[in-house]
Amino acid sequence: MPEAKPHSHFRCQKKNKDVAKLGMKNTVVLFADSVPTCTHRANLSCHTQISGLAPKRSQHPHLVDSTLPVCYCFSRLLKEGVSLAFPTHEEPLMERPIFKPIGTAEEALDTPALVVDLSGLNQNIETMHSFFRSRSVGLRPHVSGHGSPAIAHMQIAAGGTVGGIMTATLGQSEVFAATGFDDIFLANLVTAPSKIARLCSLARRVNMTVAVDSAANVSDLGEASVEAGVTLNVLVEINTRRDGMGVAPGRPALELANAIVGEEGLHFAGLMTYEGSIRAEGDELVSESKKWIQQVLDTREKLEKAGLDVEILSVGGTHNYEIAGEMDGVTEIAAGSYALMDEGYRTYRPQFVNAAKIMSCVTSMPEAGNVITDAGRKAIGGDTGNPGIPTLPGGEVRGLSAEHGGIDLDPSFDHGLSLGDRVWFVPNSIEGCVNLHDYMHVIRNGKLDAIWELPARGRYR
Amino acid sequence: MDYYRPVPGTQVEDLETPCLLVDLDAVEHNFRVVADTYRDTEVKMRQHTKNIKSPRLALMQIETGGTVGGVCTAKLSEAEVMVEGGVTDILIPNQVVHKDKIARMCALARRADMKVCVDNMQNVQDLSDIADAYGVKIGVLIEVDTQMGRAGVRSNEQGVAIAKLAESLPGVDFRGVMSHQSLMEYKGEEDRYDVGRQTIQICLDVKNAIEAEGIAVGMVSSGETFTIDVATTIPGVTEVEGGTYALGGTTYDYMKDYRMANKVMGTVISTPRSGVAIGDAGLFALSGLGADSVEDHPEITVGEMLDHQIVLKSDGEMPLKVGDKFKLIPDYQDMMINRWDQYIGIRDGAVEQVWDIPGRGCTQ
Repeated sequence: MPEAKPHSHFRCQKKNKDVAKLGMKNTVVLFADSVPTCTHRANLSCHTQISGLAPKRSQHPHLVDSTLPVCYCFSRLLKEGVSLAFPTHEEPLMERPIFKPIGTAEEALDTPALVVDLSGLNQNIETMHSFFRSRSVGLRPHVSGHGSPAIAHMQIAAGGTVGGIMTATLGQSEVFAATGFDDIFLANLVTAPSKIARLCSLARRVNMTVAVDSAANVSDLGEASVEAGVTLNVLVEINTRRDGMGVAPGRPALELANAIVGEEGLHFAGLMTYEGSIRAEGDELVSESKKWIQQVLDTREKLEKAGLDVEILSVGGTHNYEIAGEMDGVTEIAAGSYALMDEGYRTYRPQFVNAAKIMSCVTSMPEAGNVITDAGRKAIGGDTGNPGIPTLPGGEVRGLSAEHGGIDLDPSFDHGLSLGDRVWFVPNSIEGCVNLHDYMHVIRNGKLDAIWELPARGRYR
Repeated sequence: MDYYRPVPGTQVEDLETPCLLVDLDAVEHNFRVVADTYRDTEVKMRQHTKNIKSPRLALMQIETGGTVGGVCTAKLSEAEVMVEGGVTDILIPNQVVHKDKIARMCALARRADMKVCVDNMQNVQDLSDIADAYGVKIGVLIEVDTQMGRAGVRSNEQGVAIAKLAESLPGVDFRGVMSHQSLMEYKGEEDRYDVGRQTIQICLDVKNAIEAEGIAVGMVSSGETFTIDVATTIPGVTEVEGGTYALGGTTYDYMKDYRMANKVMGTVISTPRSGVAIGDAGLFALSGLGADSVEDHPEITVGEMLDHQIVLKSDGEMPLKVGDKFKLIPDYQDMMINRWDQYIGIRDGAVEQVWDIPGRGCTQ
C-alpha cells in the first residue's frame, strides 16, 4: 500500500502543529485554502502524485483549463487505501463572498461576477475627458454610473472636470465625502428635516450643492443652514423632458431663484435639468437635445436680465455631452455611464467600449440551442431591458428570470459550449447593475488586478 | 451597504425613508397559515429563501411548523448564509456545476444535509467524484421541466437514466424529483388548479417511471406559492417550495388567507404639478417589478420610476403633500428584497426589531 505523507505544500506553515496533532498515518491533510479551487490533471503514481499536486492556490491560477480537481485525484488514492482527513470545523472552510488572489484568471472567479476591464475603463475615461480638457465647459462625473470611489478618483485625475462629482442620494454623498471628494452636487431634493440636518453637517466638511423645486424647501434649507452656520449652494431644478421633479422653465424658475437669493444661508448657484437619456442618433439626437437644453438657456437669460448671476448651468449626459458641451451658456455636463458603458447605450455611443460585464456560468443545456446560465435579474439587473452577449455569436438573450439567464443559441454556430463554461453579459443599464453588487473585480490582461468596493450600494436614504 | 438600525420603539412615521418595513403581525400570521395548512398533510412546506434572504425568517417558519424542517435556496451562496444562520436541511432547486462550487457545497455538507437538482449525467458524475473525495454525501433530485422551458429533463427516459446513474455512484444519494411552476397567466381559480395539477403531474410521471425501475423516490418537491394549496390535493407530492407567501406580493392576489407583510415606505419630496407627487423611493430601491400601488390610497397610481424617485399620480386632487409618508405595495417582491440590507420589523406602529438581510446579493 502506498504511503502518503502530509506534503509541505499542502499546508500553511502556521498549521504544522495541527497536522502533528492529528497524528494520522497514511493520511493526506488538505486545508481549505488548497482544496476548493485547485485543479490538476491526475497522474496516477501515488507518491509522485502527491508531490505533483503540491501547488498552492496562489501559484496555480489556471483553474478552469485543468481537467480534474485535486479531490478527484485523491479519491483514486482513497481506493488505493490512503485515507483523507479534512480540516476540523474550527478551520475556516470558506469565506463569503469567495475572494480569489490577485493574478487569478478571470474565468476562475466565482460566478456571477461583476468584472471591469481596466483597459476599457481607461480608454473610456480618456475618450470623454479629452473632449472636455480643451473646452471651458466642464464634466461632472455622476458616480451612480459606477458607484466606485476608485473610479471617481480616476475621473477627477483625468482632467476636464469641474473638480467635483454628482451624486443621486444624500447617503451616497456621505460615502463619497468620506472617501475624499470635497465638491459634491447632490442632484436631488432634500426635504425631510432630519435629512436637511445631515446635508448641513456634510456642508461643514465639503462644498455641497443641492437642487430645489419649491419655495417651501428653499425656506427650510435657508433656516437650517443659518442655524448650522453653513452655506449651501442651491440650484433651481427645471422640469423639461421627464415627468419628474422641477419647476417649469421661465418665470417659475425666476421666482424660485429670487427666493434662494433672499435666504441668508443659501448661495444661488444656478440652474439644472435632467432631460433623461435620449436614445437617438444623428440629427434627431441633436434636435431633441437642443430643444430641452434651450429651455434652460432661455431661463438663464431671463434670470440674468433680472440681475441674477447664473454660475452653474448643468445639463446633458453621456447621451449628448458633445452636443450640450458646444452650447453657449452651458457650464457643466453630468455624465456617468460612459466610464463602464452598458448595452442600452452601445449602439448610440460607439466611441465608448463595454468595460463592465457580468461573468456567468452555464448551468444547464437542456436541449439544443437552449442555454441556462446562473446570472439573472438579481445579478445583471433587468429593469430597463435585456443585457447583451457580444462574446457569444449566434446567441440571443431570451430573457432573465430572478436567478437565471436564458439564451437562445443558433445551432449553426459551433460554440463547443458545455456546462461550467463562462458566458459574459453586458448589463442593459450599468447604474442598475452596480446597484446590485458590493464590489467589482478589476481585470488587467485577463487576470484579477484589484477588488474595488462599492460602499454606497443601497444608500437610498 | 446600508446600516439603518432605528431604535426599537421608534414610531413608523419618524423613520428615515426610504426603508423596508416588515409587519411582524402579518408575517407571523402567514407562517401560522402554513403551519395550519400542512399540519395533517403528507405534503409539507419547504420555504424558498430567495424571497426572504434571512435565516431568522426561515427559522421562524420552521419553528412555527408545517415544514419539512428545512429550506430551499436559489444559489449555493444563499445556502451558505442559511447554514451559517442555523438551518441544517437545504435543497438547492438549481444546478451546481462548476467544480469549485461543488467543492464548496461538499464543505457545506459537513454541517447540513445538502441536496441539489440535476438534469445532466456529467453533472451527476462530477458531484459523485468530488463528494466521494470529500467523504460526504450530496443528495440529488432530478429537475423536471414542466412548462418553464428552463432547466430540467424533458422526458421520463432522461429522468430514469439519470436516476440510475445517481443510484450507482458513490458520494451522491438519489432522493427524488423536483419541478417548478410559474402560473403567472392563470385565468381564475379553476384554471389555477387545473394547470397546477397538470404541471405537477409531469413531475409525478417521472417519479413513477423511476419507481417502475425499482428505485425508491423519497422526495417530490413540486410547486411553489402559486400551487401552495393545489399541491395538498395531489397524492405523492411531499413538499412545496413556497417563497412569496411569507412577505407577500400582489402577483399572488388570490391568496386571501395571507397578509401583505413587506412594504417600502417613502416620503413625498415634491408636488411639482397638480395631481402629481414625487416620492423618494425609486427603481433602485424597488426594482422595475417592485410596486404598483400605494397602501390606503386606491386613487393613486404609480407612474414613471426614476432611479431614486417614484412619480405618483392621482386623477383628482393628490392627497399626499410634501413630507407625507406613503407605503408601496410590492408586486414581485423577491427582486425588491434583494436590494435592501435591513428589515425594519414593525408592530403596533413602532419598530420592534431590525434584522439584517445577509442573503442580499448572494447570487453566486
